[in-house]
Amino acid sequence: MSTPINPAAPTGTVLNIQRYCSHDGPGIRTTVFLKGCSLRCKWCGNPESIAPKPELSYDARKCTGKKACGLCLKPPFPDGAFYVVDGDDDKVKVNWHLATACDQAMASLCPTGALEMFGKTMTADEVLNEVEKDESFYRNTHGGLTLSGGECLLQPDFSAALLKGAHERGFNTAIETAGNVPWRFMEQVLPHVDTVLHDHKLTSTERHKKWVGVGNERILANFKKAYETFPDIDFIARTPLIPGVNADEEHIRAVLAFIRPYKNVIDYELLPYHRFGLGKYQSLGVVYELDDYKTPSADLLAHLQAIIDEAFGRTPEATTGT
Amino acid sequence: MSSHTRRIAVNVGAGHVPGMNAVIVGAAQAAGQLGWQMVGIRDGFDGLLYPDRYPDGGLVPLSPQLIDDLDATGAGLLGQASRVDPFHVRSVNADDLIEEVDMSDDLLARLKAAKVDAVISVVGGRGLSILYKLHRQGLQAVCVPRSIENEIAATAVSFGFNSALSFTIEMLDRVRQAARAARRIGVVEVLGAQAGWLALQAGIAVGADAVLIPEIPCDLTTVAAKLKEKVTPQRPYGLVVVAEGATFIADPHAQAKPSSLKASLSPLATGEASDHVIERSGQAADTVANRLQLLLAHEVYPLVLGPWVRGGAPTAVDRQLGIAYGAGAVRALSEGQNGVMVAFTPPSLAFVPLADAINKVRTVPTDSMFMQIASSLGICLGRAS
Repeated sequence: MSTPINPAAPTGTVLNIQRYCSHDGPGIRTTVFLKGCSLRCKWCGNPESIAPKPELSYDARKCTGKKACGLCLKPPFPDGAFYVVDGDDDKVKVNWHLATACDQAMASLCPTGALEMFGKTMTADEVLNEVEKDESFYRNTHGGLTLSGGECLLQPDFSAALLKGAHERGFNTAIETAGNVPWRFMEQVLPHVDTVLHDHKLTSTERHKKWVGVGNERILANFKKAYETFPDIDFIARTPLIPGVNADEEHIRAVLAFIRPYKNVIDYELLPYHRFGLGKYQSLGVVYELDDYKTPSADLLAHLQAIIDEAFGRTPEATTGT
Repeated sequence: MSSHTRRIAVNVGAGHVPGMNAVIVGAAQAAGQLGWQMVGIRDGFDGLLYPDRYPDGGLVPLSPQLIDDLDATGAGLLGQASRVDPFHVRSVNADDLIEEVDMSDDLLARLKAAKVDAVISVVGGRGLSILYKLHRQGLQAVCVPRSIENEIAATAVSFGFNSALSFTIEMLDRVRQAARAARRIGVVEVLGAQAGWLALQAGIAVGADAVLIPEIPCDLTTVAAKLKEKVTPQRPYGLVVVAEGATFIADPHAQAKPSSLKASLSPLATGEASDHVIERSGQAADTVANRLQLLLAHEVYPLVLGPWVRGGAPTAVDRQLGIAYGAGAVRALSEGQNGVMVAFTPPSLAFVPLADAINKVRTVPTDSMFMQIASSLGICLGRAS
């Protein structure tokens, strides 16, 4: 069942549409990643989602080199944006400071796909048509649409249209948000949401600012207001655990103290820090600021999870020790 | 342009090198000889972009008296910003949301309002590309090349390299003594993500057993074989110098990565002790030490000199070079040059178009004199046999 595209429908910048997701809300889901983020987390696993507009990426593995191709070394590509250094390595390199003018039209000239754009402007109907393709999975698993990012609430008109459209089609809706937006954005979008997966990254305002780029006062105020204003929404708190940054008992207990008074905050999940984003940083020419950080140990995770289980009155799961 | 240039600004890009004041002294004194005014921009371009942050003004008038009193061995007169990119300035919008905005037009307008005719920028690497971009946008600019790695193309020596080399040699001497006393093999990582000048020249100076640089993919089994020859009961120690950007052919998974932001995340970045220690830098040293540990009977330990060789006082060479580069930049402007980099092409200074300096890396040629010297001294360069 395909819905005709309404040219007047809101448009947004979509980074990616990922089908068959199972960790972004109940059931089988399609997760739509929107571009643009209002935080600058040093551990960000999706650096391509930070800038609000589509941007160039380069995958050197796909480049066939100057001799075999060399298209990007000539007009219309910006002067100096691409180059080859002397020596055996024939592959093109990118001067990211001079390549900022590259757009979709230029990227599409790359015959091997080494150059491509992260992000695409789409209408809400175009996205919903894509989401509809897995309708049968949603019905059987109580799944549906999840908006993620970046920060999906930074595109409130687009997000509200997508979530409303999903509801109209009978799909469950969820969003992933860090909450650092004006309250009016949240107020506009949340009426169309069934589940909110929201981050509590750091407790201390000063340390939040250091690691994430901004203080957490507005974030905490927004979540508190959201818990109170939307009692029918299921809220699930989350913390991306980074050893040396926030993977400690003090932070976990502080988050629990914040969320436990609210019955509609139904769970608190820990997301162990991973380094999957590293390759993406290299593709974007962005320097990864947490290059050498460790992932949290299994023992630490089990310890922190036990604290959460206790707070939620659950029996801790048996650990296998593997 | 010479007859019109009356007021020049000088600024310094991100990344500390010893004795930065020498460039400022050279430029200001040369400008003074021409009757030109000289001002310094604080903290990269921040002095112009954020004047409110500076109660005494974001521009520092570099008066003859101030310059006369200035310690040319110092580096802190103008300060530096951690990010010097007016095309991507992190700011907060009306909704209190972070965004990166292009303030290059704003910067050029503020330079014009401050009646600045031209800018001398002491930069390297990324700063060069940004300066080139500003120049294409209309900025009259001259670059003084500044680099610890000495990888900037078109100049024989970048300002800052000689001081870093001197300090690296001093530290390697100490490591060598310690390794001898402890009867161990020290693996020392030095700066050099793209070029191995620092590792190679320092390694030659201290008589290292092996020097591993980005230009030569390294076979660690060859290095281990060489160390087995050299580390004997009579000489039970060894020294391996590895550039941070060295690559390894034996095990693709062991390849070290360049780590250009490690310097910005100092070991004190978290500000508090933790059980979960954050590891930073030293990947090349760790890789080499761990592999050699498996291949050798001797104990091998890694050390990282890393970014702290950027501190200290400048060497005599860098003091002279800094003053010459500063004066050379003013001479370029007086000759009507624009969009150029002052380059040291012994025995003279030359002016090279910025376009010829960007997008190139001055690596160590495989047939260079230093490579030949290293080979003749029996220093292993890790070439696969």
